[in-house]
Order: sequence, then structure tokens, then C-alpha cells
Amino acid sequence: MKIQRIIFIAFMFCIVSIGRSASIPSKELLGVAPEDEKYYKASSSDTINCRDGSKKFTKSQLNDHFCDCLDGTDEPGTPACPNGKFYCRNRGHAPLSLYSSRVNDGICDCCDGSDEYDGKVNCANTCWEAGKVARDKLKKKIATYKEGVTLRKREVELAKLAVAKDESELSKLKDEEKILKGFVQQLKERKEQIEKAEEKERLQKEKEEKEKTEAEEANVEKSKAVEEADNQEGKPTESTNDDKIGLLENSHSEQDLVQDIDIYGNEGSPNNGVEQENGDSADQAAKEEKSSVAYETRLDHGSEISHDHVSKLEKDASENTESLSREELGRLVASRWTGEKTGQQTGEVDAANDDDHESHEERPKDVQDEEYEEYDSETEDDSQRYNADDDAEDFGDEDHGDASSSYKSDSDDELDLSDITTTRNPSWLEKIQQTVRNILQAVNLFETPMNRSEAAHVRKEYDESSAKLSKIESRISSLTKKLKHDFGPEKEFYSFYDKCFEFKQNKYVYKICPFKQASQEEGHSTTRLGNWEKFEDSYRFMQFSNGDKCWNGPDRSLKVKLRCGLKNEVTDVDEPSRCEYLALLSTPAVCLEEKLKELQDKLDLMNKEQPQGHDEL
Amino acid sequence: MRSAYLYHLLHLLLLVAHPSSVSSWKRDEFRNCNQTPFCKRARSRKPGSCALIATDVVIADGDLTAKLIPKNPSQEDQEPINPLILTLSVYQDGILRLKIDEDPSLDPPKKRFEVPDVIVPELLNKKLWLQRLSMETIYGDSEYSSVVYVLDGYEAVLRHYPFEVYVREKGGKRVVSLNSHGLFDFEQLRVKKEEEDWEERFKGHTDTRPYGPQSISFDVSFYGADFVYGIPEHATSLALKATRGPGVEESEPYRLFNLDVFEYIHDSPFGIYGSIPFMISHGKARGTSGFFWLNSAEMQIDVLGSGWNAESSISLPSDQNRIDTLWMSEAGVVDAFFFVGPGPKDVVRQYISVTGTPALPQLFATAYHQCRWNYRDEEDVENVDSKFDEHDIPYDVLWLDIEHADGKKYFTWDRVLFPNPEEMQKKLAAKGRHMVTIVDPHMKRDESYHLHKEASKKGYYVKDATGKDFDGWCWPGSSSYPDMLNPEIRSWWAEKFSYENYVGSTPSLYIWNDMNEPSVFNGPELTMPRDALHHGGVEHRELHNAYGYYFHMATADGLVKRGDEKDRPFVLSRSFFSGSQRYGAVWTGDNTAEWDHLRVSVPMILTLGLTGMTFSGADVGGFFGNPEPELLVRWYQLGAYYPFFRGHAHHDTKRREPWLFGERNTELMREAIHVRYVLLPYFYTLFREANMSGIPVVRPLWMEFPADEATFSNDEAFMVGNSLLVQGVYTERAKRVSVYLPGGQSWYDLRTGTVYKGGATHKLEASEESVPSFQRAGTIIPRKDRFRRSSTQMVNDPYTLVIALNTSQAAEGVLYIDDGESFEFDKGAYIHRHFVFCDGKLTSSNMAHSAPGKSQFSSDCVVERIILLGLSPAPKSALIEPANRKVEIGLGPLHLRGGWSPAVLTIRKPDVRIADDWTIKIL
Repeated sequence: MKIQRIIFIAFMFCIVSIGRSASIPSKELLGVAPEDEKYYKASSSDTINCRDGSKKFTKSQLNDHFCDCLDGTDEPGTPACPNGKFYCRNRGHAPLSLYSSRVNDGICDCCDGSDEYDGKVNCANTCWEAGKVARDKLKKKIATYKEGVTLRKREVELAKLAVAKDESELSKLKDEEKILKGFVQQLKERKEQIEKAEEKERLQKEKEEKEKTEAEEANVEKSKAVEEADNQEGKPTESTNDDKIGLLENSHSEQDLVQDIDIYGNEGSPNNGVEQENGDSADQAAKEEKSSVAYETRLDHGSEISHDHVSKLEKDASENTESLSREELGRLVASRWTGEKTGQQTGEVDAANDDDHESHEERPKDVQDEEYEEYDSETEDDSQRYNADDDAEDFGDEDHGDASSSYKSDSDDELDLSDITTTRNPSWLEKIQQTVRNILQAVNLFETPMNRSEAAHVRKEYDESSAKLSKIESRISSLTKKLKHDFGPEKEFYSFYDKCFEFKQNKYVYKICPFKQASQEEGHSTTRLGNWEKFEDSYRFMQFSNGDKCWNGPDRSLKVKLRCGLKNEVTDVDEPSRCEYLALLSTPAVCLEEKLKELQDKLDLMNKEQPQGHDEL
Repeated sequence: MRSAYLYHLLHLLLLVAHPSSVSSWKRDEFRNCNQTPFCKRARSRKPGSCALIATDVVIADGDLTAKLIPKNPSQEDQEPINPLILTLSVYQDGILRLKIDEDPSLDPPKKRFEVPDVIVPELLNKKLWLQRLSMETIYGDSEYSSVVYVLDGYEAVLRHYPFEVYVREKGGKRVVSLNSHGLFDFEQLRVKKEEEDWEERFKGHTDTRPYGPQSISFDVSFYGADFVYGIPEHATSLALKATRGPGVEESEPYRLFNLDVFEYIHDSPFGIYGSIPFMISHGKARGTSGFFWLNSAEMQIDVLGSGWNAESSISLPSDQNRIDTLWMSEAGVVDAFFFVGPGPKDVVRQYISVTGTPALPQLFATAYHQCRWNYRDEEDVENVDSKFDEHDIPYDVLWLDIEHADGKKYFTWDRVLFPNPEEMQKKLAAKGRHMVTIVDPHMKRDESYHLHKEASKKGYYVKDATGKDFDGWCWPGSSSYPDMLNPEIRSWWAEKFSYENYVGSTPSLYIWNDMNEPSVFNGPELTMPRDALHHGGVEHRELHNAYGYYFHMATADGLVKRGDEKDRPFVLSRSFFSGSQRYGAVWTGDNTAEWDHLRVSVPMILTLGLTGMTFSGADVGGFFGNPEPELLVRWYQLGAYYPFFRGHAHHDTKRREPWLFGERNTELMREAIHVRYVLLPYFYTLFREANMSGIPVVRPLWMEFPADEATFSNDEAFMVGNSLLVQGVYTERAKRVSVYLPGGQSWYDLRTGTVYKGGATHKLEASEESVPSFQRAGTIIPRKDRFRRSSTQMVNDPYTLVIALNTSQAAEGVLYIDDGESFEFDKGAYIHRHFVFCDGKLTSSNMAHSAPGKSQFSSDCVVERIILLGLSPAPKSALIEPANRKVEIGLGPLHLRGGWSPAVLTIRKPDVRIADDWTIKIL
């Protein structure tokens, strides 16, 4: 009875597809892909080998609902072999290869319904409709890819130019660095000589003055003041320095370069440079916060922190629960499971990570503010330290009143760029060279008293040159760092280096800066989702890791899935697992030509497989 | 400012100290025995301090009754001690019941609490109406003892002076006794004296104790016992270690007090989520006996190591191995049951006849469940569901944890994340899959929450000591708890599960009850204050351990009502009490992704099974923490044999669905899950066996091999039914595994077909592909070898029978089938086959005792393959009767999956109907 039904259905199948194909699937060849049919037909004897070579089966055992071959060779059309695959033609749509566990399971998997033939369910043939939808979708995708491939090519060209430019700049800078280093060394020696001479002179003077002291006590103050004023006058001033740089910036070659870079930058979001500053500085600020807390801990307790101490603190905290209100206690206990922070009294407040957004809602406002104040004062101290150590100019002009604003990022170089690139002008070097030569010749070390203006000149030149040198060095290091990155097989991701992508979702703003870092911002608080790690899975993913630690969880991390699109934009951010984020970035950089071909082939196949009378094209 | 700083520092230090888990089990948050006055007192009592004697012994209403009075009449300056009323009743099949309570005619200040709705009403039908008692002077005594009949060969003895109760064999050998060491103590309720302070304080909480001390304690001895087992729930070994006695230092008694313990540790007598005050003893000398104390107040039980009473002058009959135990409870009455055994299965049956048989789960519930805190939204659900299909991994149920509800208001949906819950469930249902949502007892005190409004208006909440609605803190914040002791409230609650009331629910949705200890984050020991008040003035202290039971009961009843009494409920509960087996499944709560937790899951599940809760499992992978892939794989391989098989994870953990750890691990987990699906017919048959007899699905080895001493303390391996033995792999990168295979018959490796001798320990190479598992020679296991998306699509698939022959070339097995969903099986709508292989002939015969006119169940399923292990010499064909058809016998694979498979003798396509009688004769 059952077998009759199967035959009947197979027969119906034949009628439906008659005239279309010569390879009509018989009962024996049910579930066999056309390209495999010859495997079953080829054997002239009565037996067929299992594909894995494990054994043979007779033709009558083909599709007889009993699994003889572990690999399913003998049961392509039945669910008898768990390792088998069932092929449905799906005329009008794309063919499908199913796990054989789907055959006759009461669920229509093939749009042509061929996987359900035992009569328990009736599957309508939906291939035409579904196929049309799929083809339309595919066509759209192909269109996107076509344009995307072009965009990508342009991108690759631009990247080539940009890389060449950066490389040549780097090599030039290296040459300049070499020369400048020599000058600076010379100037330094000269400066030291002058200082030595001055010191000698000073001692001499002191001696003389000591002798005069008693007599001219009243006049001493006055003369000293005059001396100091003189000194002041001799020092280089900010304005001269600025003038000089300003002048150099006006050179033609410099402007061209800036233009070139702009072409690049404009493709992304226009205000990337500034955005990135903030991201970086926030990042820096977060680091500073952590280290300052740790620092404070060390300061206060020194090396006395021991296990006893810890357990005592723990005990204090747990005893404290007695004084908690019922509500506070409830929150505290709930927080163990959820990892949410529960306010000041709980003893569970996380000092270093002020980033758990859920907790912000829960926390009383004043506590939060207090903590921010604390951070602020600490970061101010730190920033002073930081600035003192760094001779880069201060660009911090905004005062946000929070921890994330006032830092110049260490990985930032855009602002230096305009300054440093002036070194490209060859005349600049010559100028310095000339100046230095003049100075060195002019200063007469043996002249007594020292020619004050000459000495000041040397100092000024030294200061300027070494500042310039350190800028060049930092530019070299940032360029070297940049060029070390993996920008893809054709450097198609080169422009990503200077870009950040933003995505707003509810109250959060996600900021993804490839090759740098990613963050999640909520108001003024920033959570680092991770630092750039690498591309993964043949450039289909970007991985950021080692972000801020999650309470009771892993360090935050972000995976960015890249998808072919015409614009660089983040289209979705998700957190599939706690503190593991997944973003979707569409970009022409991954619109690959091979993939386009693949899609076109697929469309061709779909068009070819359409049933007669329904031809679309 | 200062304090904020301190907390920063504290946190920093904690991070350094425990990088993985910032806060773990806080021992000092929970009371130990010394901090629990009744326990401390009872533990310090000296043997022989009980000064009660039995008088006025008579038979009345089929029971033996007596009064317990002090040995020495009280002095005039002392308060007179009221006599206690003692009742002994006997039930069929070897059950003795002992009740001791205050004399109600003497007007005690309050009626002591007796736990209602645990003992099944049918027990009454089994009562033996005692007609006579005989008096006897036990050797050495000066006074009489009263003796009554219990079972052929067994008698109960009430010794009058001193008071003692025990069951003995006719020959005189004792089985179980109570108060043999004179530790019995019963604090009678009384009026508070002025100078007395009855309050108890613990960690900032004050228990007003308005009724004062009312605890009960006594000793129970098990004779001829080598080990005692039972009294879940503790994360500890199967054979209970002594908690007092020589060599035991600073140990706590086994505590029975239902608590939500954060990150419980894997080896501790500390009480966790559920309580079953039922202990089983087993020994080579005498067999098995049991003792059950129906009491839902906090209980503490000491297992006394031999020599614990070295200084005591009491000497018991010394020819028997004995294990003494001390039972202490804060309140309630003595309502205790003695079970005579004598076999392990007898004791389980006896206990089950008092507390009820385990519910028969729906077929889908016995398959694999996928859970996580939390599958966030409909897209996530769809994704996870389709990934299972993509990877050809079957699963039956997808679970939603607390975040699915709107603000943790159960019975509602977060409509942003789950805008179309019905659609979502229907999509799953279209693939034959089900969904479970969580419904906890804490109800958000939010006026806009209709259930809260209704419950508070109707006065349905548990009250605090002052009579106001108790207000505690749980997930939703400020919460109240419905008073599930009250049948009216249970019935109100049950109504909430109707499709009309539970908006967004569909027939494929089932329920999970969590946090029902109850968990109260800001309560003493994270639970409800003991002086909170329930229906009828019952104090929470009196019923605490049963709160979760009543909640589970009400929820299960709700699902029965919802389905018009046609659909079997599925409710998973975390808390449980004796009798919970009638309502659904339990799991071992919030375990941790560590090898030790994998290891302890086995004794925990075995203990639950012994005490009736057969439908149980542990979170596969471990709830807290991130399992290494190897641990996760091993957990799947073992978990596939848990009666309740569910993967679950905390929301701080990484995603761990089976396809996330590389292809090889995906393959291993897929195979592990497939093992469960292949064995579903066998598991379902075992669930039915449990449903009829209480014999658990997974069993300690000694339950099947009660005479094999080597098995008595083995809790690394277990039996699935009587035919399969499974040994877990509990260490990382294990190269070899030792497996003890009991009995005289051989065992067949499930994966390789290799045969191993019984009664020996085998050192086997550990295989990555499975944990060691064996089929016992002499058994027949029914399988379904075809793979489907879920159990639903397997219904019509053909069977494989695996016959493992013993030394006499014989084997037998059972298969039970019904519609997998309804209660029709209760009316006889099922197929129950008995397969016997002997004399070269396999016979299938009907085991069902169906009476005409009853409901019928039929199946078109056939047997597609019969595998013969251990048959010699190898035959070529077989004859099917009555069809008189010849079929060939050849070599076929032992499994259809897993790459390499050994070739075994296979009867190809016998195609006999599973429902029919037939014989297959080997030619």
C-alpha cells in the first residue's frame, strides 16, 4: 500500500516535469542530485558500492527504507540513514540538499514538496513564488555587488597611492631625522659648553659680589632684578616659534598633500578626526582612572595589604549587611546573580569599572557624582603630570567636566600632522642647516663676558630643533605603527585607519575605530568594548578584544561582521552573549569580484531551473 | 566619600583574590547547627536522656494507641509534663506509621502543624485494621512490650519501659528502630513565662518566635546496614558520610532547609533547594529498609559514625551492623513511616505508596531541552532554533528565563523583545518543538500588575508576623508571595494558566518554577522569615520546606486545567518536598562549570531518584562560569543519560550552544544528544515504570545488584533502568577510566560492542567520543535509530531492538508506548510489550492488562532491525511467525552514526508491527 503510494507520487512527479528534463527521478533515484545519477546507473552489475567503500548493496536495496551504507549511499531518498542527504530539485527555485532526517518528517522543507511523499502531509509546490522572491533578492544583491566591486576597486587604487605616500613620507622623515639628530647633538654640545662657561662666569661673579656685599648691600636686590629681566628678554618666545611654523605651512607641496588626504577622509564620516580624538582620550581617561585608583590603593596601604586584610574587609562588608535596609539587602543579594551594582552601602561597588550601564540606573545619583568628582580631581593631577612629560602642544580647549574630555591621545597624530609635514619642504632643512652653521660659527666661547644674545640664540635653536626632532620621531613612530597593520590583501581597508564608525541604539552610541578601538558611550560615560586585534575569517570579521572587564564576566569584546554594501556604515549592534558584542558593518571593501561571479552563477542556475511556461527572462 | 573609597578598595582586593568569581558561597550568611538553638540543644543531649514510658496501650480504630508519660512523676515544684499521644498504624506491603503529638484534649496553646496534601488518599485503602496486639517481655526487660503484625515475617514492637519503637523480623532481628538510644525529645507548646525571651536573632533578622520552643528530636537506627542514603538535597556523596563520631571533625549535620544558595559548593552537608526527609539503609546482611519523617519544618540529621556513643551505657543487639542517626526538627509533629524492604526496590515502592507515584512526563519532556538566561528576543529564539537545524542537532524545548517577562512580572511579556509570543511559539510548534517560560512565586508589588492587585485585594499573600502582606525583595524588587498552602489560593493560581488569562501563551508552552524555596533576597538566610504567617495561622517555620512543593503543585494543576485535563503538564521546579514527584521535574539548581560539579551531579540525581524524584537532572555545562569545551562535551555525554536533560547557563557566561566550539566539538555534542534520542523509547519505557512503581529511571548500581558490596558506595557509575550502565568521565584529558561492572553476566560496550566480564573492575581507554556505557547481557533495549529534528517527528519511525544475550543465550526487555501527551494511558490506551529471547526464538507478547471497553492506542510502527549480541553460532536467516516469512540475517552496523561502527549480527527488515504478537525463530 505504502509502496504503491510512493510509486504513484513518483509518477505524478514525472508527469509534472515531463518534457523538461530527460533525467526523470525514478523511485530508485529519489533524492539523488542530477550530477550523482550516473553513479547509481553506471554499474552494470546488480550491485552498487557504498561511496565510503565500506560495502556493497544490491539495486533492490536502493531506497528500500533500510540503511545498509553508513554514509547513506543506498538511501538517498528515504530517512533510513542518518548520514544521508536528500536532494530536491525545486524547479523554479534553487535546488536544495537536505539532511535525510527531514524526509517524511511531516514538515515541508523543499519548496517542491518532494521531501514529503508518505502522504502524511500535503506540501504545496511553492517554488515559483519563493523562487521569484529569492531571485529578486539575489538580483538586488548582485546589483549591490556590481557597484560595490567598482567602489572597492577605486578604494584599492586610492589605498595604493596613500600607502605609497605614507611610505615615502616615512623614508623622508627618517632621512631628516638622521640629519636633525646630528644638528641637535651639535647644538646640545654647544649649549652645554655655553652653560659651562656661564657657570664659570657666574661663580666668578658671585665671588666678586660676595666681596662687594657688605658695601653694596642695598643695591644687590635691584641689580639682580635687572639681570633677570635681561635674561627673560633673551629667551625664545612662543610667537616667534609660531611664526616660523606658520610660514612653513604655506608651502605648496604641503597643500597638495593635505588635499590628497582629504579625498580619502571625505568618504567616511566628515568629522572623523575629531571624533576619534574623543574616543582616544576617553580611552586614555579610562586607563588613567584605573591606574589612579590602583595608585591610591597603594599609597594608602602600601605593602600592608594582606590576606588578613582582605578577609577583614570582607567581614566588615558582610557584617555591614546587618545595618542595611531590607531593600538594600535585597538589591545586594540580587546583584550576586546579576552582577549589577547596588549602591554605596553594599560593598560591592566596582571602583575601576564605572561602566556597567545597568547599574547606573540603579545607583543613587549623588553617589555617582561623588565618584566622578573623585575621578576628576585625580585625573587633573594626572593630566598635569602627563602634560609635563609630553612636549606636544596642548590642544585641550574644551572642558566637559567629566573624565573623558581632556586627554590628548597617545595614538593620535592628526594634529601633529600639519606641523610635522612641514618638514617635507626641503628648504626647511637647508634653512636649519644654515642657521645652525651660522650659530656655531658665531658663538665665541672664549669671549668674556659671554655674548648673551649669542647664547640665547643657541638655546633657542636647540629647543626648537629638538622639539622638531621629537615631533618627527613621533610621526615616524605613528607612521611605522600604521604601516605595520594588515590592511587586507589589496590594502582595501587602508582608509579605515583614519575612520570611526558610529551607530546609535537606544541610549547607547557605539563607536568603532578600526585598527584602534571600539567603545560604547552613554552620555558622558564610555565603556571600552575592546582594542583592535585583527581581521578574522578571511577579512570577513574585525575583532576587538580586551575591553573593559565585565562584572563577574569576561573582558568585553566586539566582533564586527563585514558585509558588502555601498557605504561604510554600521547597521546593527548586538550583544549575543553578555559583554560579547557583534556589530554589522556594510562596506564596499568586501564586495569581492569572485563572490559577484558566484552570485551571478547562482542566478543563472535559478533561471535555468525554472519550470516551463514560467520563464521569467 | 571615605566609605565609597573603601568599597572601591574592597572590590579591587576581591578581584585580586578571586579573579573568576567575585563572590561565592557565603558560609556565614547561613546558620550552622550551633547557631540554631534547637539543633545545638538536640545535638548536645546524652544518650538515654529520654525519660518517657508508654502506658495505656490499646487497639482503637485499627490503630495501636498509647500515652507517653515521664518515667518519674514530676516533683511538686516542677510544672507537670503533659502526656503525649502515640499512634501506630500499619499499611499493606510493609509500612509502619508512628505518630506522636500533644494531647488535643488537654488544650495546647496551638495545634501543631501536620503537613497536608502529601500523603496520597489511596494510602487509606491500604490500611490494615489492627485487631489485636500481643504482649511480650523482651529479654532483659522488666516491663512488657506490645507487638503488632506488620507484614508476613515482620512485626512492630512498642517497648513500654523505656519507650522505644521498632520493626523486627519474626525471628527477632531488628530492622529499623526509634529512640533506641533514648534521644527522643518533644518540646511541648506552653505559655511564655515573664522572664523568658523567645526571640531568635540571626544576622540582623529577628525571629519573634511567638510560640516558643517546639522542636522534636529522636534517634533512628538501621540494622544490618552498611550505608545510609537519601535525605536530599545536598551536594554530596550518594552513601552518606558520618557527621559525628570518632574521626569526624567539626562537621555539620545534613540540613534540610530549602535555600537559594549562591554558588553552592560541591561537597557539603549544607541544605540547598529541596528537602525529602526520607532515608534508606542498605547492607549486605539484611538488605534495605527506610525511614520517612513527614515534617516540613527545618530539619537537621546526623549520621552517627560507629563508636559515637562509646561512653553511653546503652547496648543494642550487637550481632548486626547498625547505623544510628539523629533526627531533629524545629516544629511540627512526629509522623514517621518505617519501611521494611527488604529489597531496594521494595523500600522505594513502599515510600511511593505513601507519597505518590511520579507523573508520567510527555514524550517531548524526556528529550533534550535548550535553555539560557536569557534568550533575549524573538530573533534570538529564531536564530538558536535554526542553528540546531543547520547543525542537524535535535532538540525539543527552548526555554525563556526571567528577562522575557515585562519587568519580571510573570505571565506578561516584554513586548519590545517579544512582540509576538504566540507567533514565536507557533513557529517552534510547527517543527514539533515546545517552549517553556518561567513563572516564579515572587510577585512584583506594582499596582499596575493585575495579578498583584488581585492577590493583595483578595488577601492571598503570605503575611508577615504583624499580619500585613509580607514584602520581600526578589528579581522584580519589592515582592509578595502567594500563600500556596491554601487550596483556594492554589486553585486561583491554577486559573492563571488558562490561555485567556496567560496572554501570549499557546498549547505548546509549558512552565518553569524557579526561586520557590522561596528565595527572598533580603530575608533571613535569603528566604522568608520563619514567623511569617500562612493560611490557618500556620507559621512559615512549620511548612517552609513544603512551600515550593505547594507552588509546584498549583502550577502543575494549572496546566492540567488549561489542557482540559487532556494534556499532561510539564513543570520544572527548583524546590521540592516529599510528593513533588507527582507534579513534575526538578533540577539541581545553580551548579558551576567545574569538573567537581559534573561529578557530584551523579550522586545528587541518584539520591533524588531513590527518594521518588526520578525526573531530575543537572544543568548541562554548569550554570555559573564558562566550561572548557572538553568539560562541556563530557557533560553532554553524561547529561544525555540524566532523566531530565537540559543545557543551561548564567547570563554572564559566554554563549555555549553546541555548535560554538569548533567542528569536532560540535560533532561530539551532536552525537551525545543523538544517543539520548536513539534511546528515547527505552527512557520513555523507564518513565512509565517509574510512574507505576516509583522505581527510578536512573538507579544506583546496588539497586540492581543489591548483594554486590562493591557497588554500595559507587556513585561514579549508575544504571539507566536495569539494562544500561553508565560511567562518567570526571577529569580533564582522562586517558583511562576505571569501571566496575557488577554481577555475573557480561556487559557489551554500547559504542564498540566489545564484551566485558561482569564482577570486575576494568581499566578502559577513555574515548573522546563517549563516556563508558554498557548494555547488560540478558537484556533487550528498544531504540529508534533514525534521527529527526525533535522527538515529535520520530513518532512513526521504526524500531531497532538490541538483544544482548547472556550465558544461557537468553534476554528480555520491555517497551512502553502511548500517545506521549494525554492522560488516555490511564484508561488503558497504551502498548506495553514484553520481549523474550530464549531457545533461539524472540517472542513479543502483550504486557498490558487492558480491559475491554477502555481506551485504545495503536501504532503502525514496525521493527526495522534486530541486533543480536552474543549469539553463536552465527545464523543466516530467521523465520517470522505467524506471517511465516523468512528474513535474512547478516552483518550490519551497531550504530548508524559516529563514523566507524563494528559489524554485528543483524536481522534485516523483519518489519513486524510493534503492536502485534509475533515470534522470530532463528534458523
